[in-house]
Amino acid sequence: MPGKSSSWAAKVGAMLAKDIRQEYRTRYAAGAILLFGVTTVTVVSFTMGRLDLPVEAQAAVLWIIIFFAAMSGLAQSFIREEETKTAVALRLYADPNPVYVGKLIYNILILALLVAVITPLYIIMTDMIVSGIGLFCLILFLGIIGLAGATTLIAAIISKANIRGALFAVLSFPLLLPLLIGAIGGTAKTLSENEDYWAAASSEIQLLISYAVVVITAGILLFEFVWEE
Amino acid sequence: MTSNYTVMTVTLLVWLVIFIYLIRLEGKVKKLEEEK
Amino acid sequence: MIWNVILFVLMGWVIVMAFITPAPQQVIGEASRIFYFHVPQAWVAVVGFVVSMVASINYLRRGRLTDDDRARVAAELGFVFCLLATVSGSIFAKVTWNSYWNWDPRETSILFLLLIYGAYFALRSALTGDEKRARLAAVYSIFAFITVPFLVFVVPRVLPSLHPSDSVVDSAGQFSMSGTTAMIFFPALVAFSLLFFRLYILGVRISILKRRRIEESQL
Repeated sequence: MPGKSSSWAAKVGAMLAKDIRQEYRTRYAAGAILLFGVTTVTVVSFTMGRLDLPVEAQAAVLWIIIFFAAMSGLAQSFIREEETKTAVALRLYADPNPVYVGKLIYNILILALLVAVITPLYIIMTDMIVSGIGLFCLILFLGIIGLAGATTLIAAIISKANIRGALFAVLSFPLLLPLLIGAIGGTAKTLSENEDYWAAASSEIQLLISYAVVVITAGILLFEFVWEE
Repeated sequence: MTSNYTVMTVTLLVWLVIFIYLIRLEGKVKKLEEEK
Repeated sequence: MIWNVILFVLMGWVIVMAFITPAPQQVIGEASRIFYFHVPQAWVAVVGFVVSMVASINYLRRGRLTDDDRARVAAELGFVFCLLATVSGSIFAKVTWNSYWNWDPRETSILFLLLIYGAYFALRSALTGDEKRARLAAVYSIFAFITVPFLVFVVPRVLPSLHPSDSVVDSAGQFSMSGTTAMIFFPALVAFSLLFFRLYILGVRISILKRRRIEESQL
């Protein structure tokens, strides 16, 4: 890690680079998430593909898959730190703030990878018609930022627990409900034939943006309480 | 109308029981606090 | 002592009046009396969450374990009332719209609160060490609280497209209550709040005693 005198951005970058390098070597978290995502999309489209589901259902299934894939892998970066005891060294040499932001960006990148892989897959396999591609992508983008924002702090919390099990999902789900409802609603609007989807989805977009801002800000403020020993 | 009265009486009795339990509990707590 | 008397009399009066006076909502009839109990329970469920969150903030600021006790007791009470509110609401829904669960805004919000409470206790039970548990539970409590306003604003916007709004609760919520109804409802609100705080104070005192006992046995 860079010394105390280096910039905040450099510290964030170092944290991020370390995580990416580690991930690249083992490919554990990304692997788990992608595997889960691809498997689920395949199974789901196999059963659902031929049914003519309403757009809300199509949108909901996509986000459910994203949510569960996130649950299967996003806590990794913190859990690994605790288990390999590298967390101790990290606490000594780094400020909590760059650690949090670094982990947050890392989680966003992993989710972006997930979405980039499974969304086209999902669209093709279920023969989904996306009327508003721009809005569709925007909602995915805002959604994963909010998702990462909420789950990064929770991942830090549960990494300190002894018995984890489904704790990550149990803690994350209630907090993510508003995000999921907004993302699903917004996505559904981009799938319908209605021309005016940008206006129709404006409240969802506002929700997603404000959710992400609030959640990330709170995460930054609260993280040091989780991180300190 | 009478069913209303039955439910009301039952509810009142339940409340009485809960309340008496509360008072007893508070008595115990007071006693323990005074010991210290 | 006087508060005990007030609480007893007030709650007793509310119970009696709730059943003697004409039913608040004529269309549903007798079952609408649940309203006098259901809404105060939901109110207390929210109050419990707020009290718990404030105690959590205090813990993070001051580091005293009594604040963690306060957070836990408030959460336990809030959870119980939340459970009661969900069940009584479900009964209310069955009687009014003939289905136990409808995903309308208020039902979803109370379920959401229930999930948060559940998650809070799941987290507490998965952590060992008083300070660690207190600290992490406090962080989660605060973090969860900030997502609540979103649900309050999101849900009414999305769900109406799927389901008709609950006219009964809306009309009551907008205080188009008759005089008799209001005369019983507001005291009920006070009575339940008093009950919560009575139980809360008692619970905190018990926790303090327990903690003192532990400290003394370690000397």
